[in-house]
Amino acid sequence: MNASVLLGGMALGAPALAALLLVLVPWVRHRGVPAAAVTIAGSLVATAAAAKLVLDRGLGAPDVRVTTPWLRAQGQTLAEVGLQLDGISVVMLLVVTVVALCVQVFSLEYMREETPRSYGRYFAYHALFLFSMNLLVLAPNLLQLFAGWELVGVTSYLLIGFYFAKPSAARAAVKAFWMTKLADMGFLFGLLLLFASTGSFEWTVAASPTVATAVTALLFVAVVGKSAQFPLHVWLPDAMEGPTPVSALLHAATMVAAGVYMLVRADPLFVRAPATRELMLWVGTATAAFAALLALVQTDIKKVLAYSTCSQLGLMVAAIGAGSAFAGFFHLGTHAFFKALLFLAAGSVIHAVHSNELGAMGGLGRRMPLTSAVFLVGALSLAGVPGFAGFASKDLVLSSVEGKAGWVPWVLLMASAFLTALYMGRVLIKAFLGPPSPAAAHAHEPGLSMTGPLVLLAVPAVFAGFLGTWLAHSVGADYHLHLGLTPVVASAAALLGLAAAGLVFGAGRSAPWAAVLESLDRRGLVDRAWEALYRQVLLRVSGWARWVDRYLVDGVINALGWSTLEAGSAVRPLQTGRTRDYVFAVMVGALVLAWLGGWR
Amino acid sequence: MRLTDVLLLATLVFSIGLYGVLTRRHAVALLLSIELMANAANVVFVAFATLRGGPGEALVLFALVVTVSEVAVGLALVMLLYRRHGDTVLDLARETKH
Repeated sequence: MNASVLLGGMALGAPALAALLLVLVPWVRHRGVPAAAVTIAGSLVATAAAAKLVLDRGLGAPDVRVTTPWLRAQGQTLAEVGLQLDGISVVMLLVVTVVALCVQVFSLEYMREETPRSYGRYFAYHALFLFSMNLLVLAPNLLQLFAGWELVGVTSYLLIGFYFAKPSAARAAVKAFWMTKLADMGFLFGLLLLFASTGSFEWTVAASPTVATAVTALLFVAVVGKSAQFPLHVWLPDAMEGPTPVSALLHAATMVAAGVYMLVRADPLFVRAPATRELMLWVGTATAAFAALLALVQTDIKKVLAYSTCSQLGLMVAAIGAGSAFAGFFHLGTHAFFKALLFLAAGSVIHAVHSNELGAMGGLGRRMPLTSAVFLVGALSLAGVPGFAGFASKDLVLSSVEGKAGWVPWVLLMASAFLTALYMGRVLIKAFLGPPSPAAAHAHEPGLSMTGPLVLLAVPAVFAGFLGTWLAHSVGADYHLHLGLTPVVASAAALLGLAAAGLVFGAGRSAPWAAVLESLDRRGLVDRAWEALYRQVLLRVSGWARWVDRYLVDGVINALGWSTLEAGSAVRPLQTGRTRDYVFAVMVGALVLAWLGGWR
Repeated sequence: MRLTDVLLLATLVFSIGLYGVLTRRHAVALLLSIELMANAANVVFVAFATLRGGPGEALVLFALVVTVSEVAVGLALVMLLYRRHGDTVLDLARETKH
């Protein structure tokens, strides 16, 4: 067997084994710490395999694809499963495993106050998640990708609802599940349509433009749900009910990025559908700008980051819509690192002050210098300050929309870049500068298990941008750093945003238009729209369905049962129990038979 | 002696048996009637064997054995009926319905 196939199998198999062990052996799971050890061992193996794969790739290893037939019918193979190891999947695999490993190690201390049972359950979910995500990443066709897609959806549901005794967490889990499942119908129908019209689940299949447009539009619906794009983004801020490391891993770095990853993978299909790309460009742009505005008024540090994630995913979608899948993928990679870093640093802060509210923080810079420093790194990277990873990829994204659709997306995305710097500046000022709040006064740095991953993630958050050229070469795209209009304006937007934050929030004021935004946010217009849709459409349709079920379907069944009983009662008197009646019946029967038999 | 005469005799005996089965109330009488019907069949066997040849006589022996067994079972049932109801009137045995 090929060495890279073996490595790919390890990346997939190690977390799968860990998950299987934790599910099947409650003894280990209920003890907590051994469960964590099992999960982290699995992740370590997966990370090592991924690192070796990327390294080999750098040394010129070719693309590998192994598949095995699955779903045989009538002598034909309907679908295949297997591994696809090319530039995109290998790099994504490394990003996923590294972030997952960091988050799991971080969780060791962060989740310490849980009971051993909860602790074990938490790590069991993590192992399952890593397996599902790797299954998705290494998928050679859309069908396997869909399987991974649904599995990460389930683990997302389980992890958001980790504190299931808390009503808000349970509600958030169900909401996230329903919203993404609603969108996943698009994936399912897209797959079915693709298979019905081309007989294949491959993204490289030569579909006609009409089919490609329909399929990609359906697939994009699923992406809107999974990657929290407007108007299906409402589940993501609520998903912050989950433990903070979970938010870092699933709802910032990897799972929500699965939508973008699918867009990158299925790009050959999207190339044939310019109309869908146009739609993606607009949806992505709208989400980026809209979510950045909302991030500005959140008082919960995790919600700021959640809206920021929506906004950044919008950037990626817009870039892919503009025709540059590589820009989207590059930003996906850098974003995974710096957003995971930001979330984990936020987790460290929350761990210290026991609150998510920005108002309860303040002055943490002196109490928690390391956390503050890495948060600053993440924030600068997210804001797109030149020199940081976020700058390189965001610059590429912005360049890709340059001149598209009458410059409108470009202007809006620039504005959202400015807003990004503004809201990150706001968080920095509110949480880390100024006088310490009572809760923050006793804050202190966490232990090595939490600071280690923070420092580790800070490295790619700064330097990952310099890998752009190598990455482009590895996935076969064309890229080089350039100096032009976009990078200059983008740098200016980032620096101006930070400066504006200093001016506005540093003086203790809130943004001038904050009142309007806050009232907008508090009313939760999009949320309300979905709720109305739910009540007016879904519940009503369900009502009809119930009527049909109860009175039509059940009616037929009941009528059948009733008529059988009635017929039984009608013939019951024939059975008298008197022997002579039976003899008489036998005789009559014999006579009838004789008559029929030719005795006439 | 013609075949027709014997067949008429057999039919007569069978009909008497059938009448008895349909009209007698007591189980013992019923068994006797059944015996009559079975023997009517035996007469037909013997008649055909004598006048036309064939293995009819041997079959009669088998039929007799079967009939004896049947009577043994029937009498056992009559015994049970009597123990259960104190009489051998067949209409008492309504358990088949309930």
